[in-house]
Amino acid sequence: MIKKIKASVSEKILFIFLVLLGIFSFSFFFIINNKCLFVKNVDPEKIQFTNRQNIAIMNVECGNVIIELNPKLSPNAVKRFKYLIQNESYNRSAFYKVIEDTLIQAGDLEFGNIDNINYYKVGSGKSGLGTLKSELNESFKFDEGSVVFARNEQFNTEDSEFFITLKKIPLYVGEYTPIGKVIYGLDALKKIKVGNKVQYVLRPDFINYFKLLE
Amino acid sequence: MRLLLILLLTLQINSLKADEIFNLLKIPNLDVYKLNNSNGLKYLNTKKSFKIGFENNIKCNETNKKNLDEKFNLISKNLSIYEKDFLNKINLRFIVLCEKLYISEINTAGIPDHKKRTLILDINFNKKYFERVIHHEVFHMIHNSFENIFNEEIWSNFNDKAFEYAECSTCSDRLGLDLYDKTNGFLTEYSKSIASEDMAEVFSFIMTDKLKIINIAKKDTILSNKIEFIKNGIKKIENFKF
Repeated sequence: MIKKIKASVSEKILFIFLVLLGIFSFSFFFIINNKCLFVKNVDPEKIQFTNRQNIAIMNVECGNVIIELNPKLSPNAVKRFKYLIQNESYNRSAFYKVIEDTLIQAGDLEFGNIDNINYYKVGSGKSGLGTLKSELNESFKFDEGSVVFARNEQFNTEDSEFFITLKKIPLYVGEYTPIGKVIYGLDALKKIKVGNKVQYVLRPDFINYFKLLE
Repeated sequence: MRLLLILLLTLQINSLKADEIFNLLKIPNLDVYKLNNSNGLKYLNTKKSFKIGFENNIKCNETNKKNLDEKFNLISKNLSIYEKDFLNKINLRFIVLCEKLYISEINTAGIPDHKKRTLILDINFNKKYFERVIHHEVFHMIHNSFENIFNEEIWSNFNDKAFEYAECSTCSDRLGLDLYDKTNGFLTEYSKSIASEDMAEVFSFIMTDKLKIINIAKKDTILSNKIEFIKNGIKKIENFKF
């Protein structure tokens, strides 16, 4: 005959504690593994844009980033940017250079595609379209979400690489060619993978696709 | 092999923390001291010592806040003479302020970087001639942008035929910055190092002690020719009022 043993109060508390610990551990593991959990994805179809022809949508791991292009400020740069978007050149382009809470850079079409990224040469690639003349503008404020063409240390070397600022950087006023501003989805960019104190990222995040609204 | 290279690259970059200033100028450990100056110059402060250049041959230390505040007034007063258009033409936009600036173990007042439009200035260099030294370094930016105007061969021909400059400014022991009592075509001992330093010395005196050297030049034909050469050269770049 099996004798039924009644659990003591302390055993019950221990059991409840273990169950709660399990739930907490599982939730915590799920949360820390999902960096996009609290990022709101923006649906461009639900937004009314006044200038749809200058709206670009960049899709990254945590959702859509909506960029309003500014051809009035830098017509040639925006023309090049639109051309590369329309040709799907930026699709799967790696955010190989990320300065934490400061900026993210992508767009090396030659060495920065996530499918065959070249860690030796990334950042030095070319689009094959030639370089652009810098279109600098002192009136363009480098607020959070400014989208600009990257260049090497000389002006007039803009090609296809671009970066987006994650904070206000007044030092950059007049230094880079502006393309536009992020109007929605900056939170998704702030989740882009950062290197460990290093600006060049190993196994970086990338652009899923980049398209124009129209 | 590839992994090893990536690891080495990682460790190398890991020693400094990238920020927006490093991204722009490739000089670590700086912060903004003053932007929005009327002539567009952007002043950056060294918050922690840095090493840059080939085999880290350029070194400079962080500034002392009180010292920097004092020196900045002098620096900005002297650099405010140059207008924005002129500074754009000579490719000067950023002034990096630091203490104990060394290049290849030699203490120097400034290091101009034409490509990065940057002038690194040692705020402690030669207190006696500090203001003049600022203009001396500015001239190097001018010279780098307009080597055809400030042709060293033409300049060297102003000197006596027997005179020869040293091979380089750092391989000469002609370092004195005191104004000669008897000039004989050269304002200071440092003027005798190399042609570009000679030009920079003349320019710096024009900018800080014009009347004095014009008087000296009345009795020194070589010096007089050199002063006219510099003034005419600058006027070709900008309608500069001396």
